[in-house]
Amino acid sequence: MFLFIFVAIPLIVASVMLIIGRFSRDVLPDFLANLCFFLLLCASIMISCSWPGTGQYMHILKWFSTNLNIKVVLDGLSLLMIFTISIVSLSVGLFSINYMGKYGSKSLYYAILLVLVASMNGIVLTADLFTMYIFIEAAGIASYGLVSLGRTRYSTEGAFKYLVLSAIASSFILLGIAGVFVNTGTTDIRSISASGFSSKFFIILFLTGFSFKCGLVPFHTWMPDAYTAAPAVLPAISSGIFVKVAGVYTVARIFFNALPFSAGVSSVMVYLGIISIVVGALLALGQSGLKRLLAYSSISQVGYIILGIGIGTPLGIIGGLLHMFNHAIFKSLLFLNAGAVEYTCGTDDSLKLGGLGKNMPFTSTTNVIGLLSAAGVPPLNGFWSKLIIVVALFKANMFLYGFIAILASVLTLGYLLLIQRRVFFGKIKECFENIVDVPFWMNLSMVGLGLVCVWVGVSFAPILIKWVLPAANVLMQGIRTSFCALGGIL
Amino acid sequence: MSNGSILLIPILLPVIAGIICYCIPDGLRKFRNVIALISGFALFLIVANFYKSGNLIYVSNWFFSTIVFSLKEDSFSRFILLWLSVFSFLITLYVSARMANERSREFITYLLITCGFACGAVLANSLLVLLFFWEGLLITLYLFICLGGKKSSHRTALKGFILVGFCDFCFILGVILYWRITGSFDFPDSPVALKGVGILSFSLMVLGATGKAGALPFHTWIPDAAIDAPVGFMAFLPGAFEKLIGIYLLVKICFNLFSLVPGSGASMGLMILGAFTIVIAVCMALIQKDIKRLLSYHAISQVGYMILGIGTGVPAGIVGGIFHMLNHAIYKSALFLGAGSVEQRTGTTDLKSLGGLYKEMPITGLCFIICSCAISGIWPLNGYISKEMIIDGCLETGYKIFAVSAWLGAIFTFASFLKAMHSIFLGERNVSTPRVKEVGLPMLLPMIILALLCIIFGLFSSIPLSVISKFVPQGHMLHLSSHPLNLFNTVSGITILCLIAAFLLHRYGWLKNDRKPYLASEVVHNLPVIHTIYNLAERRFFDIYEQAIKFVKVFALALYYGFDRSSDWLYEKLVVESGIKIIKSLRSLHRGFISEYVGWIFIGMFVIAIFMFIL
Repeated sequence: MFLFIFVAIPLIVASVMLIIGRFSRDVLPDFLANLCFFLLLCASIMISCSWPGTGQYMHILKWFSTNLNIKVVLDGLSLLMIFTISIVSLSVGLFSINYMGKYGSKSLYYAILLVLVASMNGIVLTADLFTMYIFIEAAGIASYGLVSLGRTRYSTEGAFKYLVLSAIASSFILLGIAGVFVNTGTTDIRSISASGFSSKFFIILFLTGFSFKCGLVPFHTWMPDAYTAAPAVLPAISSGIFVKVAGVYTVARIFFNALPFSAGVSSVMVYLGIISIVVGALLALGQSGLKRLLAYSSISQVGYIILGIGIGTPLGIIGGLLHMFNHAIFKSLLFLNAGAVEYTCGTDDSLKLGGLGKNMPFTSTTNVIGLLSAAGVPPLNGFWSKLIIVVALFKANMFLYGFIAILASVLTLGYLLLIQRRVFFGKIKECFENIVDVPFWMNLSMVGLGLVCVWVGVSFAPILIKWVLPAANVLMQGIRTSFCALGGIL
Repeated sequence: MSNGSILLIPILLPVIAGIICYCIPDGLRKFRNVIALISGFALFLIVANFYKSGNLIYVSNWFFSTIVFSLKEDSFSRFILLWLSVFSFLITLYVSARMANERSREFITYLLITCGFACGAVLANSLLVLLFFWEGLLITLYLFICLGGKKSSHRTALKGFILVGFCDFCFILGVILYWRITGSFDFPDSPVALKGVGILSFSLMVLGATGKAGALPFHTWIPDAAIDAPVGFMAFLPGAFEKLIGIYLLVKICFNLFSLVPGSGASMGLMILGAFTIVIAVCMALIQKDIKRLLSYHAISQVGYMILGIGTGVPAGIVGGIFHMLNHAIYKSALFLGAGSVEQRTGTTDLKSLGGLYKEMPITGLCFIICSCAISGIWPLNGYISKEMIIDGCLETGYKIFAVSAWLGAIFTFASFLKAMHSIFLGERNVSTPRVKEVGLPMLLPMIILALLCIIFGLFSSIPLSVISKFVPQGHMLHLSSHPLNLFNTVSGITILCLIAAFLLHRYGWLKNDRKPYLASEVVHNLPVIHTIYNLAERRFFDIYEQAIKFVKVFALALYYGFDRSSDWLYEKLVVESGIKIIKSLRSLHRGFISEYVGWIFIGMFVIAIFMFIL
């Protein structure tokens, strides 16, 4: 029963939000939404504290003692995702107290955001493929809406592209689920893995569909257009968690727990990952718009995550999952900084900006923290996850990929430093000389995320032990099961 | 002060006086000169005091470290110290009058600091201490030449610094090798035999000592400095000090550190070096048309005599060499001071435009003539005595060729000084220079004193000789009374013949060239093969410094284009340009058409399919 609140409470608040919006334009929606996020964060921390480390919680829904047969399952991987989702959604919520004032109806925005968060929680808390698909779709629709909240023609165009391409990908996924259902008779993840079904055709379908949701090359084309014109909170939450939840988590679930993890899947994931890393970094180098650059950077970083998970060794999985968590934190931070810049200066084109660091010290400093984190500079959090991924690559004898990963890190540092120098350092332009710093809540959320970056970087062992290792164990178990199921061939 | 710390005074007194003089502004110039003179005189008195107090030793730890700093003065260093103080006093006196408008503040400072460091080098009791003071002299050398103020002064200063620095570097290598042999840096009680690694160490150290003194082949900076540096510097360093400390070190190397056996290979090497220096330098001096360059080449040549004398290894030669060092310091500095006086009054040092100045500058002219005769070795002046002793020493070794080279040097020396005297003071009054007056007393006094010393040391040569022979091994066996004023033996006969030959040569050249005295040496200059060699030498073909610089330039250029530019191209052009091209092509693929993007999804799916089915 307790787990159900992760999905129920945001949905309830969302439905109430629209009514409240008629009475109170700013205060009550802000307060309610952020209270909701805060409660979810507390709940996730409480569950983490009492988590025994293995096993899973399962709640079966009952409606007044009628068994509804809806299962809500929480295991190690879901716990990591819940924790990530709650941190990032709280930061985004706090940020949008001030930020979304410019974009029209706040209650509408909060309603959509809450639906998105509820759906994401639903994706990770279910053990059933079809339920997962429903929540993916719901979250997707919420995303399209949030993209188009930018209210310019570019945001409408971005939303439209996102919608159409995502529909194609979702149809692939649905085809795959249907195929699995026909062949195994169930959509429950545990049952599928028990039946040992494996088919290359459906693996291809799933890979295509979920790679689109991740933003791997060559399925990445929606990301830049969708993120550029949307209000900065959307990329923060989308690239921050939605991509991970709908892309990485689902890939992990299906290919580690549902379907057996074969060598072919591993290689495909590794190749997709490495190509995404390189292409994303190269494309980011050529950009001048802040949000577009960060979109390409997200493509690159998701490549790291898929690369790490795709290696299949414990070290690789740990690295990939840790990078997933870290990326959620620092990428959201970077996108929120872009939003802050956009809030004060009205543009996010780095060529037009300059010298903002003097008037916006919090933004500039947290941007530096996020930047160094993304590039993998110790002692921040990105360093640890990238290190583990590279070590895993070297241990698996994939030396070339390791070198490419390291070189791409240098490229990452390059384009992010370029942005930092262009936007925050340097001489200030006359039109921006009188800008003031962003309001309190935006600062608070950015500083909060920055502090999490630093804390995880300096003492990353608690995160590793409490959240990442149980998640990795789940996936490793899946590998072992598939190992047995495939008769010892991996 | 019986513990020997009085030995620190000859070092510290001039250095501190120099620093004080540096701080006194030009307005108080006279005060500054007085301080310098007082410190010079005080130094003289203190050193004279050493003669009474006997051998002192001072040992302490250097700046609280474990390196031992020890000074010692024995008879030889006392002797040298005395003359160091005399020369610094005399030249300070000269400079205080002469450089009234020039940078005399820095000059006096450098002079005093050099004096202090030279005293330190002479007093050193350990090779490390010696090295410290020896190297310190390099800095003041550079600064001195820069004071000349001419356009090429800095280049010459750098050339001098590098050449003398190279010699010092060889000396350091020699010291290190010596340390390998004996195991310590102190001066040993008994000298080391010359064999094996010792020979290498000996050669390096000799190179260092003679290079500092100004012998071949590291001499090429001195003629350049003659033009580019102030004349007070020329009188001071290449004239007096360098010879004093250079030959001091040479004697120490040959007889304290190693034992130079007469007739051994090392002795022959030294003598050959000396002979070459004499002949080559004096030939170059013969054709010079500028009095300062002429004097500087003679300074190099006379060092050859000293090295020849010391290289013989016999007492006569060694004593002669050391005495020659002293004599040379006396008359060379007087000659330079005289040339400086002429330059100050007439504004030029070119022999072509000078002439007949005897009437207007009688005292300067007389001192100049006396010192020129002394350097040429005319009886009864001091140069004659020392040259005779050196030639006697050469003949004792049995190789007559060295004596022949010394005589040859004597011929050309006298010929070139006849030219100099004739061109500047004697002969017709050249109308291109305006009427001049004699120089003032402060400038005259040093010259007069030095000229008088020339005469005194010539007539009463037993006084200095007896002092010198005390610290030369087996010097007490010399029969000193037999040498001076003894004209009636073969050696002196040949010497006098050489002088007459030089006089005839000069007269012949003078008559042949329209009775112009400055062209008197053109007969030698225009001899068939010699002419080409002279031209090459004047164009610095044989100057190892210039050739080395040319080579270094070519080498640096090769490195620049070979390594630096090519690796720069690699990073700046290749990587960046190709990166930009790749990024541009990637960006152009993203055209924004949604239909294309849908196509990408299907293409991607097919690629994955192919991949999975092949695998």
